[in-house]
Amino acid sequence: MDVNRREILKVLMGGSAVAAATMTSAPLASAGDSKEFELEPDAVGLMYDATKCIGCRACMPACQNANGLKPDVGGSGGLYMQPDTLNAHTKNLIKLYTAADGHERSFMKQQCMHCVDPACVSGCPMKALHKEPHGVVGWDPVLCIGCRYCQVACPFNIPKFEWDTINPKIVKCELCRHIVGKTVSQPACTQVCPTHAVVYGKRSDLLAEAHRRIKENPGFYFEDRVYGETEAGGTQCLVLSHVDYSNLGLPKLGNESPAAKSRQVSEFVYRGFLTPLVVYGGIVAIVRNRWKEHLKHAGTEGGEVHGEEKRA
Amino acid sequence: MTVTWDRCIRLKEPLKTKPFLVFAALAVVGLLLGAYRELLGLGYVTGLNDGYSWGLFKNWNVTALTALGSGGYAVAVFAWIFNVKRFHPIMRTAVLTSLLGYGTGMLALGFDVGRPWNFVWLADPRTWNHYSVLWEVAVCMTSYFLLALDVENMPPFLEKMYRSGDPTKKERAMKIFNFMQKTFPFGIALAFVLPSMHQSSLGQLMYLAGPRVHPLWQTPLLGLLYLLMAYILGFTCVLLTLALSAYAWNLGWDSETMERLAQIMAWTITVWLVVRYADLAYRGALGYILRFDRFSIFFLVEELLIIVPTVLLFSKANRKAPGKLFRLTFLVCIGGLMYRFTPTTLAFSPLGDYRYFPSTFEILMSIGFTALAVAVFLYAVKTFAILPAAKGQIAAEEAMRPFDTL
Repeated sequence: MDVNRREILKVLMGGSAVAAATMTSAPLASAGDSKEFELEPDAVGLMYDATKCIGCRACMPACQNANGLKPDVGGSGGLYMQPDTLNAHTKNLIKLYTAADGHERSFMKQQCMHCVDPACVSGCPMKALHKEPHGVVGWDPVLCIGCRYCQVACPFNIPKFEWDTINPKIVKCELCRHIVGKTVSQPACTQVCPTHAVVYGKRSDLLAEAHRRIKENPGFYFEDRVYGETEAGGTQCLVLSHVDYSNLGLPKLGNESPAAKSRQVSEFVYRGFLTPLVVYGGIVAIVRNRWKEHLKHAGTEGGEVHGEEKRA
Repeated sequence: MTVTWDRCIRLKEPLKTKPFLVFAALAVVGLLLGAYRELLGLGYVTGLNDGYSWGLFKNWNVTALTALGSGGYAVAVFAWIFNVKRFHPIMRTAVLTSLLGYGTGMLALGFDVGRPWNFVWLADPRTWNHYSVLWEVAVCMTSYFLLALDVENMPPFLEKMYRSGDPTKKERAMKIFNFMQKTFPFGIALAFVLPSMHQSSLGQLMYLAGPRVHPLWQTPLLGLLYLLMAYILGFTCVLLTLALSAYAWNLGWDSETMERLAQIMAWTITVWLVVRYADLAYRGALGYILRFDRFSIFFLVEELLIIVPTVLLFSKANRKAPGKLFRLTFLVCIGGLMYRFTPTTLAFSPLGDYRYFPSTFEILMSIGFTALAVAVFLYAVKTFAILPAAKGQIAAEEAMRPFDTL
């Protein structure tokens, strides 16, 4: 065993030398720098100001109609739409948060945040989830294999899956991309909102407007900050509220996109595809010698040959 | 009785024994339920939901059990790269367990994906998202299965062809075999690189889930830890398979080989433990261990199942005693499977109020896939010369030259 242990060390050291060589040859480029995952200058999004929302839920049936979704009437005994969570029939949901003491309240519009660098797009094996023009995160039924990695990956738990059919789709807000710019100028939810609590526009304009509101009402909005400006690398849908965002189902996230972090780890190991190629070459070289030795060994031990044919 | 396993044999046993029929029946039940799922949809046969959208099929049958199917990979590394010659006679058993582990894992995956017909687009490189860790797993696992595992399992088939007596078949077998001999080192290297890639990627998958995986498991090193655990579980699978086979069919006990396997396994676990705890310490997550919430308890159970037997396996006397070796390896196996399973399910907390427990159908399907692997194993060892044996072992056939050189 001692001999073998020494050999293991030798091989491991050889391997790390190769790894070290490849690591220094390529500067540690952050895969997140790639242009594909940057904010487009003409990216669009929504801004939802919870303090302006009156909870009328007009946006919900508008969304159902625009997207051809069945109304979810389960919670009401069949009378009216009453989903309790986003689901395969609900891409957009207005919820009310009430603090335990009953004083603090805020509505929340739950839907896809259209991340600048989305985890779902980065994780999707087949480019079914992808960035459309203007940074909208779209889903393509022709490419989706239904693996549901987007559901595991999304930090906001947004994509939903049709569990009760053999032709299941991923359901999530796509900012009405099938009609905006064609028959209508804005998504259904912003179109019908009576108080303009949710508005559609260029992300840069929306962000400027959000900051204007914060500046005009210092101390009114939670931490004087817009949720989505930097969270998870930034989202194209922005949220303003006077209550702690984490109470509204918006988790505390770092400023780096999880997708970029994941790509950095992969890039660190793979170096393009250099590492696997170098390792492959090394193993071929080692095994070739072993293999010759092995054949020689097998061929000379005549006493152990079974069957009819001896090796030539 | 201690013997030296130096050849592979075909068992002289009838195929239709009681255990075989039980496993075959379980497999049929699983596959019938699979057909039911294809007719209705995933929601009808599984307990999956929008919070826990990955369950038994992906997290157990693929993520956990393909690690168990890494025996061919783990043992081959030591047989071919570190040149442990004793391991050559057990290679056929090892690569067969791998073929079956991966085969049934991929079968489970086939039932799990919602829109499998779109797999055809894998043929078009324009659809590949090479940033996707899951894409890497899908392509790499399929290539490993088709290009490496199938080839590694060829020699027993070729032997069978050669023995059939038909001269054209005989010639064809030799032709294929000669080609395999020439390209063998390239194939073995592929059988090393591909599993290294996808076994680590299976862990890396969960890294994208970020803070929703508990800090006791979530780390940028998930890939490395999963890869090392694939080695460990690969060893446990080969050890347990050989021990059970030796017991069931009186193959004798090659103490040297088994002891060596266990020793290498114990060292690999030591490396794994060093990485695991260094990482926990570096990330400042050690404090979570003794909170005695459900995560801390999962962690403690997992670690005890791995650490205690490993310490005992460092004693040569324990490794030499067949019963002890079996029991200790079995404990490591359970602990290791827990480690591979936990980050995906037990330590995964989706946003919102979701619960997941696999449905009865889902459990039956999952068991069915594994039962299928066992049934095929029983069929294979009675049809081909697979299991290792010593000289003088009663056998239907022995592996023959030159096919046993691979």
